[in-house]
Amino acid sequence: MTVAVWLGSAAPNRSIRWLDGALAAAAKFDGATAVAAGDPTWLDLAADRASRAGLASAGVPTDLQLDYLGWAQVMAAVARQLGATTILVDEASRPDRFPEVAAIAELLDAAQLTHVVAIAPDGAVVHASRVARGQLQTCRVRGSAVIGLRIAGKEIDEYPTPTPAAAMRRLDLASLSLDPVVLGHRALPPRTSREARRTVERVAEHLAVHVVPVRAAPKKGA
Amino acid sequence: MGAVLVHIDLDGDRPDPSSLAALAAGRAVASSWGATLYAALVVHDPSEHPPDSTGQVVSAATVPAVDAVRAELARAGADKIIVAVTDVPLAPLWAAIGAPWQGILDHLRPRLVLFGADAPSAIELGPRTAARIGAKLLMRARAVGLDMIELRDRDGGYVRVTDGGASVVMIGNARGDDRCDDDIDVIVLALPGGGDARIELAGAMPADVAQAHGAMVALGDDVAGDPEIVRHAQRLAALLGAPLVGGRAAASAGAIPPHAVVERATPLAPELCVAIGSPNLDLAGATSLVRVGSNGKGVDGVLPGPVGASVQDLLRALEEP
Repeated sequence: MTVAVWLGSAAPNRSIRWLDGALAAAAKFDGATAVAAGDPTWLDLAADRASRAGLASAGVPTDLQLDYLGWAQVMAAVARQLGATTILVDEASRPDRFPEVAAIAELLDAAQLTHVVAIAPDGAVVHASRVARGQLQTCRVRGSAVIGLRIAGKEIDEYPTPTPAAAMRRLDLASLSLDPVVLGHRALPPRTSREARRTVERVAEHLAVHVVPVRAAPKKGA
Repeated sequence: MGAVLVHIDLDGDRPDPSSLAALAAGRAVASSWGATLYAALVVHDPSEHPPDSTGQVVSAATVPAVDAVRAELARAGADKIIVAVTDVPLAPLWAAIGAPWQGILDHLRPRLVLFGADAPSAIELGPRTAARIGAKLLMRARAVGLDMIELRDRDGGYVRVTDGGASVVMIGNARGDDRCDDDIDVIVLALPGGGDARIELAGAMPADVAQAHGAMVALGDDVAGDPEIVRHAQRLAALLGAPLVGGRAAASAGAIPPHAVVERATPLAPELCVAIGSPNLDLAGATSLVRVGSNGKGVDGVLPGPVGASVQDLLRALEEP
């Protein structure tokens, strides 16, 4: 089983704890490679955390801003080049990472498993526990699969500023047989700013899509 | 205009409420765009073994599960019901129901596919469906507008009738209006086999509260002694279908049950966390974080005023029709 862990295209939103957790999970597999794409600062951080976890790393430098399917194309191409059959994905560090699990699986014709909170390799089988709607499900994974991880590393307040990653293997888009112009079709449209909402109305609007639907009471005579 | 397809998860013998919310949003969109609204179900029938029948349309009379939900889906706004019958045992995993679901997609080739964001299968089926049809994906959206309805998510993403490609949208919430037409067409596709043996569901047990991945309301020790704030926090948690968690002091004050105590070092990664007061918890893994009564970095919303008044105002805004 050849394993790669996709760290994504940008640094974690709030904490590198989940990034470290994904790397620690990948380190349970012999010879796993950490993969990241994006700007040089992020690639340096990804390579630094990977080397601290004892993993080799590969990076795809690019200034493209892509949607979930665009980044999945990049990771799928890297996976093919590395010969990776099991792809782990850090789906907790950024919200946009979660749909990339399914997209990478689709592009590699692999099985998928999301929301995994514990993982253990056992020969050709991977034992994974995932959380789904208040249940902890135990799954056995055989063969090629993409697994979305929500596993935290150790608590960390400050981490050393990463130095430029000399050990990271650089893969440009051309070497992955990817055309930036074609990838540009999956460019992410501009979104509203990430400024915090500061009024009751705007916060309520943000929360409204999380209000749980309630089953309607049956009408009289129905 | 192509078809609008809504995936329906069943909760026992009734549609899941989140799926019905998606159906309500689909009704608004389909009426506005002049499209046909399909409600789609995957049902398990071990007796269905028709040879050479992949994607074959069969009689609706052979699917008792559909008869039970037909009227409810019609009243919720569906124009037609499409059912994939599989002999693979159902589980909310792409590995289990991906193949029959694909049969429905192949049959209809929909322009827009909706899922209830909180429906059991949505997190596994939604993004994979989007990737399979190369669609735009909105993770938690709602229908807005009067004459020309569009779907918008909280980050500014949208789906409009003028869009060129297909879209997959996870609907956060919607209010539906009952219709009276109980008699609608049902299309049944027999799709035997197709389970992905690479994923085997070996067992399940209740998850710990700290592993919740939906919404969560976290109560700070600093406000756990205020009965009014606690009452509002409990109402907010009920509204969001979320556990109310906190530290030991909150449990000692009777604000949260003992099983809802989360230790400071325990990492939390819910989809949404509303922090009331200053909970001493690791909330950095939350997909979306809203703070009431405290500030913080990287938050999606913050109400820095008095906690009690802010939560009460927030509840009022969320509960108003």
